[in-house]
Amino acid sequence: MVQPEPYIRSRWWEDIPVGEFHVFGSHTFSELEIIEFGKRFAPAIHHTDPVQARDTLYQGLVASGWHLTATWMRLMVDYMERFAQGVRDGRRNGAGMGIEDLEWFQPVRPGHTITFTYEITEKPERLIRNRWGVIRSRNEAFNQYNERVMRFNIDILAERNPENCQPDLAVQ
Amino acid sequence: MKRFWCDLQSGEAFTTGQLQLRREDILAFAAEFDPQPYHLDSEAADASIFGGLCASGWQVTALVMRLLTDTLQAADIPVMGIEAVPNLRWKMPVMVDDTLHGKFTVTSTDAESRQPGCGRARVDIQVNNQDHKPVVELSAVLLIAHAEQGVHLGTA
Repeated sequence: MVQPEPYIRSRWWEDIPVGEFHVFGSHTFSELEIIEFGKRFAPAIHHTDPVQARDTLYQGLVASGWHLTATWMRLMVDYMERFAQGVRDGRRNGAGMGIEDLEWFQPVRPGHTITFTYEITEKPERLIRNRWGVIRSRNEAFNQYNERVMRFNIDILAERNPENCQPDLAVQ
Repeated sequence: MKRFWCDLQSGEAFTTGQLQLRREDILAFAAEFDPQPYHLDSEAADASIFGGLCASGWQVTALVMRLLTDTLQAADIPVMGIEAVPNLRWKMPVMVDDTLHGKFTVTSTDAESRQPGCGRARVDIQVNNQDHKPVVELSAVLLIAHAEQGVHLGTA
């Protein structure tokens, strides 16, 4: 049986194509999760108290925007892990450097199902610590009515092919 | 005295309280939201780009929101959430037992926002660790209520 392209995370930076598009998956936000996250990180009543939240401008409980970004991360890790081919030593995993144009467009309420998409938009020509390149992606999240609820761009490090980073060694 | 959107001035600066991140906080967040080896396992973390066990960048951003929320609520300013983050840079990893504290400045305000009943306050935020090194820098658009809430339901 022919396997789909299996080496998504374990590819070198050089082998990751601009334009690649993935759907990381979906998550349904429960009332309990929203409250739990709100109590820890954004303790305002529109995140923590389903009854009092009705009297706020949101007219009910809504998820913290950072709950959406954290959930994006979880779905990305799970998605990449399925294709990582055992690369779990922590060395090949790149770090996030920064984000741009993060916006939340619509409240996410208990029971809403959010689907996260990822598209590689750019590979800036940078070599960091003689080992890492940058992958820029556009990420969007949609609710079950196909309304966009969130968008951001993020720069994540990916390991460059050592042949391109250590000319002293590669030349021999 | 309660301060609403119209009471906020461009240039106004705030200093946040402090939050300390313990090993169990880092592990719990990572297990739920960012289960990568350098957030879960000390040995793997030592060999990683970070050189040690560190918090997910998304835990750090969530803690920024906690610092902002606590600071604004303490000032009796009704913060109703966040609409946008035009840019953000993670400058350094946050390691076990690091203590975070920050400062932020209002750079501009708009009476309108996507959320009816709220105006925008743009803020520049810097959060430092206990060595006064910046760990994250960002600009954000916060939502601040125009008036006491609950009144709008009276017409129903």
